[in-house]
Amino acid sequence: MHYPSETPRWRRYLRFFRPDVHGDVDEELRFHFESRIEELIAQGMSAPDARERAVQEFGDVTSVRQGLVAIDNRLARRRSRSEQIFEILNDVRYATRSLRRTPGVALAILATLALGVGANAAMFTLLDSIFLRPPAGVINPAGVRRVWAERHYMSGTQFSQILSYVQFDAIRTALGDRANVAVYRIALQTRVGLGENTGQAQVGYASAEYFSLLDVRASLGRLYSHDEDRLDAPSPVVVLSRAYWERAFDADPNAIGKSIILGGTKYTIVGVATKSFAGTELNATDIWAPLAFYARGRGPGTPWWRNPAVNGLFMLVRPTAGANDRELEQRITTALRRSSVGSDSLTVGRFGSIITSNGPGKKGQEEQIAVRLTGVATIVLIIACANVVNLLLARAVRRRREIAVRLALGIARGRLIRLLLAESAVLTVFAVAIAIAVAYWGGVLLRKLLLPDIHWAQSPLDWRVVLFALVAAIGSGLIAGLIPALQSANPELTSALKIGTGSGVVQHSRLRASLVVVQSALSLLLLAGALLFVRSLDNVRRLDIGFDAKSLVTASVRFDDRTRASDSTLPRRMTELAERLRHVNGIERVGLMSMPPMSGFSTLSWYTDTDSSGAHRGFLMTASGISGEFFAAAGLSVLRGEIFSVTRGAPIPPSVVISESMAKTVWPGRNAIGQCIRFGSPTDTCYRVIGIVENARMGEIIERESIAQYYLPLDNLPTTAKRTLTAAYVAIRVAPERYARVSNEVRSLVRQHFVGGIPVLTRLSDYIDPQYRPWRLGAMLFTVFGILALVVAVIGIYSTVSYGVNQRVHEFGVRIALGATLGDVLRLVVGTGMRAVAVGVASGIVLALIAGRLVVSLLYGVQPRDPVVLGSVALLLLAVGVLATLAPAWRAARVDPVTALRSD
Amino acid sequence: MTTNSLDLLQGTLDVLVLRALNWGPMHGYAVARFIHHGSDGTFTVLDGALYTSLHRMEERGWVESEWGISEKGKRAKFYKLTTAGRRAFRSETDGWNDYVAAVARVMSASPQPA
Repeated sequence: MHYPSETPRWRRYLRFFRPDVHGDVDEELRFHFESRIEELIAQGMSAPDARERAVQEFGDVTSVRQGLVAIDNRLARRRSRSEQIFEILNDVRYATRSLRRTPGVALAILATLALGVGANAAMFTLLDSIFLRPPAGVINPAGVRRVWAERHYMSGTQFSQILSYVQFDAIRTALGDRANVAVYRIALQTRVGLGENTGQAQVGYASAEYFSLLDVRASLGRLYSHDEDRLDAPSPVVVLSRAYWERAFDADPNAIGKSIILGGTKYTIVGVATKSFAGTELNATDIWAPLAFYARGRGPGTPWWRNPAVNGLFMLVRPTAGANDRELEQRITTALRRSSVGSDSLTVGRFGSIITSNGPGKKGQEEQIAVRLTGVATIVLIIACANVVNLLLARAVRRRREIAVRLALGIARGRLIRLLLAESAVLTVFAVAIAIAVAYWGGVLLRKLLLPDIHWAQSPLDWRVVLFALVAAIGSGLIAGLIPALQSANPELTSALKIGTGSGVVQHSRLRASLVVVQSALSLLLLAGALLFVRSLDNVRRLDIGFDAKSLVTASVRFDDRTRASDSTLPRRMTELAERLRHVNGIERVGLMSMPPMSGFSTLSWYTDTDSSGAHRGFLMTASGISGEFFAAAGLSVLRGEIFSVTRGAPIPPSVVISESMAKTVWPGRNAIGQCIRFGSPTDTCYRVIGIVENARMGEIIERESIAQYYLPLDNLPTTAKRTLTAAYVAIRVAPERYARVSNEVRSLVRQHFVGGIPVLTRLSDYIDPQYRPWRLGAMLFTVFGILALVVAVIGIYSTVSYGVNQRVHEFGVRIALGATLGDVLRLVVGTGMRAVAVGVASGIVLALIAGRLVVSLLYGVQPRDPVVLGSVALLLLAVGVLATLAPAWRAARVDPVTALRSD
Repeated sequence: MTTNSLDLLQGTLDVLVLRALNWGPMHGYAVARFIHHGSDGTFTVLDGALYTSLHRMEERGWVESEWGISEKGKRAKFYKLTTAGRRAFRSETDGWNDYVAAVARVMSASPQPA
């Protein structure tokens, strides 16, 4: 048959993949020509003439054909697009409809997925802020290095960023033009303004180069210059962060040129930094002042910047192009060794990232908890995923018949899988929305809980967190959706159609049993972790810090006027104040002390009859001057001997009270009472030890070193201590419930007693509370996650067993008809369910034993392999497992054999 | 090909094709025959233009096509009007009738005094 450009046969097979446009056009035209030629021949024309006539009537065959193909191609493309959209819409509509039919299951899946992903995203916000996000507003942060000193001690390696100005100067000289350098002091909470109702701001001190090194500009006014930053004569100027300017000055442009009083010093505001810049630490800086103000007025004689003992400075380096990091570190090492006091041959200079937490060395306890918690959150997500798989599987099992019908009617398996995946896609979309909300609030909450002292500059949520939530949700949704989809797309058609929903149990239950194993193993792991943290917290809480923290309050006075603070009559007037406080209703005991409790140490040189060298190796010691009922007020009990007399007017002989640890360390195996201590020089007055009191902590609730304390009477101090140990604080014992009322009275008495003085009251419990925080936090967060895991696992066990029962209703009917008792059926169902749980518990214990060393550094007084912890968690999980299987088992036992046997 | 053929505007051809399909689904060859017989040879449409018109209308959504078997037992592509096509046919027909009436009025009119 003649027809221009015959289509090859093979083209037809393309139809399987997409519409064969060429073939269709050719076939249509061929039909036209055949019909026309046939008709013309029938009218008596010769075949060649007929063909010629047909072509003539048609026109330009080639160009028409090309035109038709072009039109049809456009059409085909548009169709396939709209078909796809239509199909997807259809899938989504179908999925939503079928999910709405089982709202309980849908909600359970949604909640598990959203919580799992949300918890992870919240953890991610935290890790992101701590470890991943460079400080905002810094141009090219990757090019900035922090300087660390790595020091090797007998007890291990320590890393520190803290330098003295002497060391900084040596490093700057050593680096020369190979790098730009800046030095600064991290921001500390500082009083703003004068009087009692002062505000607070995070004030940092930085060299002028700090801004230029980070490439930070002023968004208003200017930054301070090198001349204003001179160490010997700095100008009192400050630069505000944009956030602080907006917060404290309502973004008033006239703030420039105004003065601000920080910690009693008056400064002039010269500028506001660029919008997002809030310093280089996690903790946002509000105000920067020239570096020289950091230690102004500290000590007479040598200026502080030549005194190697004045440290606390951090250093930033931006190597110039072509500089080698290793070589610079080498130079820093040399500079550090040369500039440090004494022999320091074991110090090595190291560079770290601009992100402090990514520096070398050990992470802080909160940061460690954050990292562990991320692992925990991931485990929760795995459990959640397993649960979603389980629930979707259960749904799929129930829909076996429907799926089999669809397959029998010729639905493509690919399309069926897509249909089933659409369900998890719909769930995932909703879950992501909820998860992002959970992440935001969770992130805010976690930041507050984990690092409450940090004033965050940025929102916890940014595109990375959203991306993380999306990837986590889609990933887990896909995995959770794909397994049941693949499973149910392969049923044996005939059996599924013939027998009701009752078949296929064996095939599915193995997968689902292993999901239960995974869930119970992982939740055992998390619960064991939670219990370890709870026990640690309990151990830490029960630590005896010596002081009676709940009822010990210290009162003192401060003055905005600096000259008043060094008034020599203050100790006498403080004693008078103590006398007046004694009569305040609600105050049980009043004493005086030279230093508030747990705020560090101060000591004198002292000598005993056996050690006249004054070298007391092996322990730290601290001296306090006290008087009155100090021991009673502080809650320190007297173990042996006696304490200073409180009788007024009676002279106190030269005597000293020591702590139990001091008695044991200095006079081991001997009676310390009656021994002689000489302060200042070996020939000074002998102070007799008259009593031994219980140990008190010096600064931290957990102190590993042996710390010795000695208490001297304020009324009869050794000559050497007359200047340093003065009555500066009043120790008051107040029942916690009376504190609110008493504190107001104390404040007004202080104001009356010291004109222009500002009362300062501190409760020891408030002061040491932050130290319990990491423990409380670890216990709390691990418990929350543990319970979350347990709840999810219980849902998993329950739903698995429950669906198993549903599948086997027929079988139970037969069993009961054949005489199985209630107990038999209960045992059977609970036994089947508990087998998986038991395997899970066993593997969970193994996991816990292996994973234990990851948390050992965060525990106190309990070992990760603690058999009581593991045992009780295992028991708990088994008990919960029995409860979860009992409900469906009861249902199985109540099956009415007649109904069950008739139903199919 | 007859000599006194009129050149048909594209829109006009579409109306004719729609008219043909208004009788019911038919393949392209049948449409061509319908127009040929209907016009009684007054004008001739190039068959190629006809197919182009059919495919364009399919793209526009006025007609749908489907493969079927012709009266002689051969595979042929059948076209049928869609709802949109029927609507288009009505409005095109009205337009065409107005046009014809207007032309007829002009042709029969005598000059009016200004």
